[in-house]
Amino acid sequence: MSMSRRRPRRPGKRKRHTSDVWLHVLPDDRWFHVALGETIWETLQSTDVELEGDCYGLGRCGKCKVKVLSEIEAPSDAERALLDEDELEQGIRLACRTRINRDLAISISEEEEAAAEYFSILTTSHVLSERYIPQDQLEPLISKQLVTLPFSLQHEGLSDLDMIKLGLGSEYRDLQASLYCLRTLRDDLEEGSFRGVAVLHDHCLLDWQDEEQIDRRYGLVFDLGTSTLVGKLFSLADGSEVAVGSCLNSQKRYGSDLISRLQYCQEHPRGLKTMQSLILKDLNQITANLLETATINPEDIFVAVAAGNTTMQHLLLGLSPTGIAQAPFSPVVTDGLVLDAADVGLHLHPAAILYTMPMKSGYIGGDLLSFIIASGVAEQQDETILGLDMGTNGEIFLGNGKRLLTCSAAAGPALEGARITHGMNGRAGAIEGVALEDGNLRYRVIGNVKPEGICGSGLVDLVAVLLECGIIDENGLISPSPRADCRELNSRVVTRSGLSSFLVVPAEESARERPIYLTQKDVREFQLAKAAIAAGIKTLMDHLGVGVSDIDRVYLAGALGNYIDHHSAMRTGLMPRVDSEIVRSLGNAASTGAAMVLLAKHYWQTAFELTGFIEHIELSWRFDFNQYFIDHMTFHEDNPW
Amino acid sequence: MNDFKALSEAISKGDINKAVAETKSALEAGISAQDILNQGLIATMNEVGDRYSKGLIFVPQMLRSAKTMQECTKLLKPYFQEGDVVSKGQVLMGTVRGDLHDIGKNLVSMMLEGAGFTITDLGVDVAPEIFVEKVREVEPDIVGMSALLSTTMPAMADTIEALQKAGLRKKVKIMIGGAPVTERYAQKIGADAYGSDAGSAVTRAKELLGIDRSEE
Repeated sequence: MSMSRRRPRRPGKRKRHTSDVWLHVLPDDRWFHVALGETIWETLQSTDVELEGDCYGLGRCGKCKVKVLSEIEAPSDAERALLDEDELEQGIRLACRTRINRDLAISISEEEEAAAEYFSILTTSHVLSERYIPQDQLEPLISKQLVTLPFSLQHEGLSDLDMIKLGLGSEYRDLQASLYCLRTLRDDLEEGSFRGVAVLHDHCLLDWQDEEQIDRRYGLVFDLGTSTLVGKLFSLADGSEVAVGSCLNSQKRYGSDLISRLQYCQEHPRGLKTMQSLILKDLNQITANLLETATINPEDIFVAVAAGNTTMQHLLLGLSPTGIAQAPFSPVVTDGLVLDAADVGLHLHPAAILYTMPMKSGYIGGDLLSFIIASGVAEQQDETILGLDMGTNGEIFLGNGKRLLTCSAAAGPALEGARITHGMNGRAGAIEGVALEDGNLRYRVIGNVKPEGICGSGLVDLVAVLLECGIIDENGLISPSPRADCRELNSRVVTRSGLSSFLVVPAEESARERPIYLTQKDVREFQLAKAAIAAGIKTLMDHLGVGVSDIDRVYLAGALGNYIDHHSAMRTGLMPRVDSEIVRSLGNAASTGAAMVLLAKHYWQTAFELTGFIEHIELSWRFDFNQYFIDHMTFHEDNPW
Repeated sequence: MNDFKALSEAISKGDINKAVAETKSALEAGISAQDILNQGLIATMNEVGDRYSKGLIFVPQMLRSAKTMQECTKLLKPYFQEGDVVSKGQVLMGTVRGDLHDIGKNLVSMMLEGAGFTITDLGVDVAPEIFVEKVREVEPDIVGMSALLSTTMPAMADTIEALQKAGLRKKVKIMIGGAPVTERYAQKIGADAYGSDAGSAVTRAKELLGIDRSEE
């Protein structure tokens, strides 16, 4: 077999030093200089070659697979545990476990390319569009005003800006102007014969334009998710949503969860800078795509509102997030900020403004504030409303306009498909739903293609189905069901050295001709995730003194909240058993709340007031949370809510 | 060899009433408390730890078993004279600075206790100075440190360094664990052992102190 392995030959132009070792990456034919003994993963970290992976090179997730084409040492124990025999035979290794001691040629699979693809998701549901601002209540952060400067004013020796102040009326006596605007103001005024459009942000003149531009004003909303970044383009003239775009967060190469990225910032002096430039690159790319779709120019965008968890908002601004990484979880800033977008690094109008949403604490970010605004919970006094944004951190609110509690429960990335053996995020090829029909397993795949893996909503369904038929017992153990009508399903239970897995998709039905399993370890990961969220909800319920029957409404947010089956969520114990009539998905609530701020500026004030009003319950100090966390790890039908 | 099958099953299932009843009837049948402890309780908890390590049972089940064992141990206490039960070793446990995770560390403590170790639990967010101070005071055989966040793992290295500076490093064995911790990391920071879970933590602790499983 070793005969067929290729020994890489370096490109001729490179001179060889005795200590030089090269890593040759196919199929792109890239060459990287390697410090002897580094792992492939470590080498590729500093490059733009992307690898899958959830664990930041700890050798736990088994996803950073590469095919080694050169001769290679025997696999490590970690690799033997995480790769199957076929893979090992083919020379597949884990990049983070493979040290480079001599020139090495590797091939990276096509999966990375698929992952790096820009993909569009989550268009706003029609239910939500009603919640965007009605036209008669539009009061966008940016306004445009047609101004004519009377001939008489032009000869009084007034400054150009003073003339505009007078032209705008007495309420603009304290008008300021951007330097960008002032630099061209004289020419612009003369060109337009002293008639034109003032682009105003509060009491600041951002630009002076020709009068035909009166209706051309746009604003952006960014949802800074740990996994996915979403951008929405709005016309500020009528409040309509013009285009939506999204991409995977490129920071994921430093780990799919926040903690891994925080660790990277802690350990690398330039880590923060790297993280910031990655997110800026992504946001500018999304912006470019939106502009192309809508055929408008960057100069037409005068404002952007960004909402994300506290860490993501810090990374966008290049603020150190390391305080958030450990108790007592102190961020640099929690205030909402109004900044110069160009200063931050966004490619919009040169004088454009960036708003970042206010935050409550290290783990209660601008995304939860936006969710609260979008839900309208603080505006009403009678009903008790539970809000759930289920991601790596389960962000939860409970209450109403009288009292509103929030918490953030560390669920781990299982619900986003990470750390699940055949888990993946919600993109084409992911099993997003599972159901039982006449004793047979049916699954639904995003994009209607052959399945590659399971995403969060599929995982919740799958566990619910297997609980229902007894293949997963209340303690979470996978074993053949005692029920007679489960013969077909039982034949899918595969037991190896005492532990069982469930075959979801046989090799011949799957995209990569490899079977898709739910393993015992996956169920354990799921148990931890759902227990954290359930315990968070229960702790807030106790604190507010309400029971399940007191909950009048449940709002779900985020990608998972949008697609999750409510019955499966209740069956697995992710959320309390309520009448499914009262459960509603709010879609991408973080961007909805931010859009409301963009389109009606009084919501910016609301956001500020909310940070004072909402109460943050820090779970990690609490004994009761720990106890609930343990209680809710099981799947008892009558779990104590 | 006595038959502890029923007792063992009750502990495995976490059935406190049944286990307590079985312990009582074993005592009434004249079986020595020492035998009940070693062949009944500790042997069963070893099995429970193994099953947990393999993934066959999960946290709540293991906790129930550990609590059941604690209840049974209480019944045996009056039968032991001073000096009858020799502690397998003194362990100082804590979750490191900046980390508030309690459950994993508690599981390890309970399993070690169940296996006959004596535990001093310092709680969570324990600063290196506190570890140093308590090592002086308690003089443990083993210091156990837990971290659940990759961002708080460096505090384990800080603690080891602090013990070194205080001249205490050679007097104790250091064992670490927690979700992001690996064997390699343990070696890197100069810990003596890594426990991948509560079950194997017990095995590691015994190895550190040269206690052979077959001796029990």
